[in-house]
Amino acid sequence: MLRHDISTAQAVSALSFSDTSPAGYDRRKFLQMIGMGIGGTALGSVGGPLLDGLLSNQTRDAWAAGPIGPHDGVLVIVGMYGGNDGLNTVVPYSNGKYYDYRGNLAIPQNQVLQIDGNVGLHPNLTFLKSLYDNGQVAIVQGVGVLGPNPDLSHFSSMATWMSGQAGSPTTGWVGRWADGLGGASDLFQTATVGSAVPLHLVGASKRGTAIPEEGVDFGGGTDPDDQRMNDAIRQFAATSGGRGTWHDAVAMVERGQIEVAQTVAPLFVDTLPDSEISKKMTIAARLINADLGLRVIDTSWGDFDTHAHQPYDHGQRMLELDAALAQFFSTLDGRFSSRVTVMTFSEFGRTPWSNDSAGTDHGTANSHFVIGSSVRGGLYGQQPSLLNLRRWDRMQATVDYRSLYATVLDGWLGGGASAVLGGNFENLNIFNAPGTGGIGTPPPGVQFSDFVGITPTRIMDTRSGIGSSRSPLAPSTTRSVQVTGQGGVPATGVMAAVLNVTAVGATGPSFFTIWPTGTSRPVASSLNVAGGDVVPNLAIAMIGDSGRVNVFNSTGSVDCVVDVVGYFLDGSAGRYTSLTPERILDTRIGLGAARATVGPRAVIDLQVSGRGGVVDDADSVVMNVTVTGPTETSYITVWPTGQPMPTASNLNMIRSQTAPNLVVSKLGAGGKVSMLNDAGRTELIADVLGYFKAGVGARLTPLAPQRILDTRIGVGAPLSPVAQTPLALAVVGQGGVPAGGVSAVILNITAVQGSSGTYVTVYPSGEARPVASNLNVDAGQIRANLVISKVGSNGAVELFNDKGAVHLIADVVGYFTDGIG
Amino acid sequence: MADVAHITHLLRRTEYVAKPDRVAYLAGLSLAAAIDDILAVPSNDIVLPSSLTVRNVAQNQQQQAALTQWWLDRMIEAPKPLAEKMTFFWHGHFVSGMTKVNEAFLLARQNRLYRSHALGNFHDLTQAMALDPAMLLYLDNADNESGSPNQNFARELMELFTLGVGNYTEADVEAAAAAWTGYGINRTTFAFEYHADLHDDSLKLFMGVVPAARWTGPQIIDHILLPNSATALITAKFVVTKLWEYFAYQSPSPAVVDPLATGFATDWNIKSLLKALFMRSEFYSVSALQGMVRNPVEWVVAVMYQLGVRSAQLTPDQHLAAMGQDPLDPPNVSGWRPNGYWVNTSTMGARSTFARNAALVAPFSNLVNVSAMTIDGAIDAVCNRYDLQPISAVTRSAMTVLVSSQRAAQPGTWESLNLTTLAMICPEMQAI
Repeated sequence: MLRHDISTAQAVSALSFSDTSPAGYDRRKFLQMIGMGIGGTALGSVGGPLLDGLLSNQTRDAWAAGPIGPHDGVLVIVGMYGGNDGLNTVVPYSNGKYYDYRGNLAIPQNQVLQIDGNVGLHPNLTFLKSLYDNGQVAIVQGVGVLGPNPDLSHFSSMATWMSGQAGSPTTGWVGRWADGLGGASDLFQTATVGSAVPLHLVGASKRGTAIPEEGVDFGGGTDPDDQRMNDAIRQFAATSGGRGTWHDAVAMVERGQIEVAQTVAPLFVDTLPDSEISKKMTIAARLINADLGLRVIDTSWGDFDTHAHQPYDHGQRMLELDAALAQFFSTLDGRFSSRVTVMTFSEFGRTPWSNDSAGTDHGTANSHFVIGSSVRGGLYGQQPSLLNLRRWDRMQATVDYRSLYATVLDGWLGGGASAVLGGNFENLNIFNAPGTGGIGTPPPGVQFSDFVGITPTRIMDTRSGIGSSRSPLAPSTTRSVQVTGQGGVPATGVMAAVLNVTAVGATGPSFFTIWPTGTSRPVASSLNVAGGDVVPNLAIAMIGDSGRVNVFNSTGSVDCVVDVVGYFLDGSAGRYTSLTPERILDTRIGLGAARATVGPRAVIDLQVSGRGGVVDDADSVVMNVTVTGPTETSYITVWPTGQPMPTASNLNMIRSQTAPNLVVSKLGAGGKVSMLNDAGRTELIADVLGYFKAGVGARLTPLAPQRILDTRIGVGAPLSPVAQTPLALAVVGQGGVPAGGVSAVILNITAVQGSSGTYVTVYPSGEARPVASNLNVDAGQIRANLVISKVGSNGAVELFNDKGAVHLIADVVGYFTDGIG
Repeated sequence: MADVAHITHLLRRTEYVAKPDRVAYLAGLSLAAAIDDILAVPSNDIVLPSSLTVRNVAQNQQQQAALTQWWLDRMIEAPKPLAEKMTFFWHGHFVSGMTKVNEAFLLARQNRLYRSHALGNFHDLTQAMALDPAMLLYLDNADNESGSPNQNFARELMELFTLGVGNYTEADVEAAAAAWTGYGINRTTFAFEYHADLHDDSLKLFMGVVPAARWTGPQIIDHILLPNSATALITAKFVVTKLWEYFAYQSPSPAVVDPLATGFATDWNIKSLLKALFMRSEFYSVSALQGMVRNPVEWVVAVMYQLGVRSAQLTPDQHLAAMGQDPLDPPNVSGWRPNGYWVNTSTMGARSTFARNAALVAPFSNLVNVSAMTIDGAIDAVCNRYDLQPISAVTRSAMTVLVSSQRAAQPGTWESLNLTTLAMICPEMQAI
């Protein structure tokens, strides 16, 4: 008698993910859990003007639904609650024992939809049979809990299936997979269609959203009266009520309900089928078509607990399943037909012997379906033996139920099975190799990306017409630049690029925003320029559709130069190890080079490997390079020693200016990088921040930029400029950074309205402030610099301002994690 | 004299809402006397309408709706609502549901049976439930016949009604299933009927009792619930934990459960157990005061009481499934979960829809008319009237956002209607 709820009186302790507290979360995690990736202080300002005039832009809320990634597979789960009778679903019609045990419940041979000479489908599964004939259905036989005495309780058995782990589960397999993805758009990452979130969608930091099957009513309206009510309900969650976790949980979910309703209301305009599972799967298809970013959608129905009157009841369930699958695939937009896999599950099968109530009792091994155009159709697993079974004997499972999950996780959801399932289980290899499934099948999967450093290549220069028309960017215009296939960047499989972007000859104050093509421009700035000067900044940019990124110029006219210095992709390339900043070059004191200014066209070969924590066999280094006291307008170029010097600049300066910039460079011969000063003489300083090395360290998850700090308007910190007390900025759980497993974050830090010339240092909270500067800015000037910082043990970084008072802005553009993968 | 805050808490948990007259009266008594007053439920003071307890095939669905509506109104109007609160508890413990039984009149009769034992004796209740026709259909014991036993009831009797999983073996399930063969119903009258010819009278080995005996079904229950036996203690802890979680908070410690269970396993007296439970200091701890989310039925009852509307006007029976709790159709044989189970974007949306309907359907004279009040005055008046005090600062700020924007855009009646809706939705109304 199971339907959408699987938990249990007795197994409450085993299943009660949310019965003792809201999933045991503290408030910060809970905020993140339902998708509010920004802190309480910022919530009050959402819906109002987030930004001042300089950086005015559209607001884009942290929970906004986004499209699924170009390589993402979508999984639809169909739960058959109550224990589906696998023997009458996939019928072993050639086996005389089946007819001996089943009596009048057996499906006659001549009615079975034959798969091969031994097994066939229930006669009501005609649509499924047509998919099988098209090679799009994997039938996995003998799936269950291995071992001599499987639990026959609906509840313990369902708990086992949903958790995908032995012991007392408090999280489910999909939830743990979502935990490993990181990110904060949780409202639209996994969802169930129904009124209860099942255990399998509950992770340690993620929880599925519930989409009501009857559609949204409250919260979905847009007229002023609705908006007033919605705004008031959003306000419930502005801060903790101070009345315990349940009060706060209600407030946060009520707020989430408004966001979900606003998003999914249009999906319920058209009528829906009446049958429960057809309705739920139709909604699932519409959710996929809407491209909200959902990766896993859960549906379920019952009752499959056919202790009695099985022929009619089970026949109805089979009809319902078949109709729902037909409805689902006919509703699914063609754009997604190769992106979706459907899988079934149930808590157990049923007894081989029928009882005299024309029913069957709780059993063990079962057959399940995995359906989709990327599936290699056929029979998998092994039908358990029916020999010598007595009245209450059950079949012995031949395939561990976690093998089914491992197959889907590694073959379709991008990996992580062993971490999610707490062990290695056989991959049944049900899926086609990436890209060979259906027409235009993209490989599902890549969530984490590895770094490949390259010799810098100029891919855009509006002064000379490289990669762009030969004209400056006009005010409020966007120009896109091709990244993939340029220089050393491959044409496919690239997730993000490391770009050195330089603004040249701006006619006045302006800023650039760099973001992936095909998505809305975020509220963020990548580089600020005062006018007349040459300002570079490093940018780590997600790649948009067609392998391009957008560059937006806010005001005035300005030329733009873009050099690509590396890229991130899946594979055996480098992973990042972040270090506490350490100075390895300072020409003022003779550290790392002679104690002398660097002359015109002079080159320093700087030993990097083996210094400042960088290992001997590192591939690339991340450094903050600063010039001070330059005698001429000049630039610095950094490249791997032994390679030809590229046409690219990492750092630009005018006379007497102190200017830093983040530099990512591949290491050349002997673990060195070469640094050239173009003109005049200057002191040169380098602080090492981390390195990339194959197979070791953290992996980058790039993010579309999101603002997590703006002291001008009280986002992320009180509305006040920062003086000489370091500002602790919480970064984990903010702006798309997950709550756990983050080793470092990438921030673009902007300093503005400073009262005096100063520098800003960013370092992990709880550690001693290093001798290093990330950003140098003059009084009244606006300056931005990319910063990669280790995260302190409390999940925060510290921002230190050396002199006077200055407003600080931080946009998060990515993070590094040791996540599953 | 009892503490007013304690009495308010006790009443919200036992009588759905802290009605002002009840608070005033009970606060004048000692805590023990106040609890006795709450437990002093008159026996047989109500009779289910006969239209609900007679089979009417053509009106089966209407009977189901009418029973739901009657029950919800009864929860609001009963002078001592604890009887209904406990009736609902047993409904969620000894579960049956319409999806399987499909006979509304049997669920009405079962409802009557729960109520007659609601504060009585757990052993008697368990024996009565085993022979209840709705239960016999729901867990298939009506089909449990010698030679081909159906294990459904025998398994759930031990797993969910008494011992809990892990405290019996598959052999015990087989023996109990055999013992319960022949306990069925008359398919014409739908009354319980024992079929001796279908009963397995062979010797059975149950729970290691030697020598093997010819166990009957009721003897299985007698054995499990033998006062002070090991199985009785296990059962008592199981039921006490569930009751504590129904009234106080989740996952009580053994220090709370064990003394209550020891007493309960002696006499199975439900009223005595509840008295002891409500007397415990832990029941008034911060964990308890912040321990519960009203389940949908409790929340609907509170809303309808506060706004002075009844089921006939609001048809809550048509909204409760979307909130996750169709009263006569539990999701499965284990009943409903508390707290987090109710808090998701689907179910809370359904509650908000109902709150808005309730505010619009209620006679305007039942609402607090705030149009002549200051904003703070309006919020104070609404929170006092609707049992929401003490209100949190953040909820007050949300109410301020609504009233001020409504007042600026469209002053008058809508201020009161929308503020009432928001009050029914606010976290103080949901988490008590």
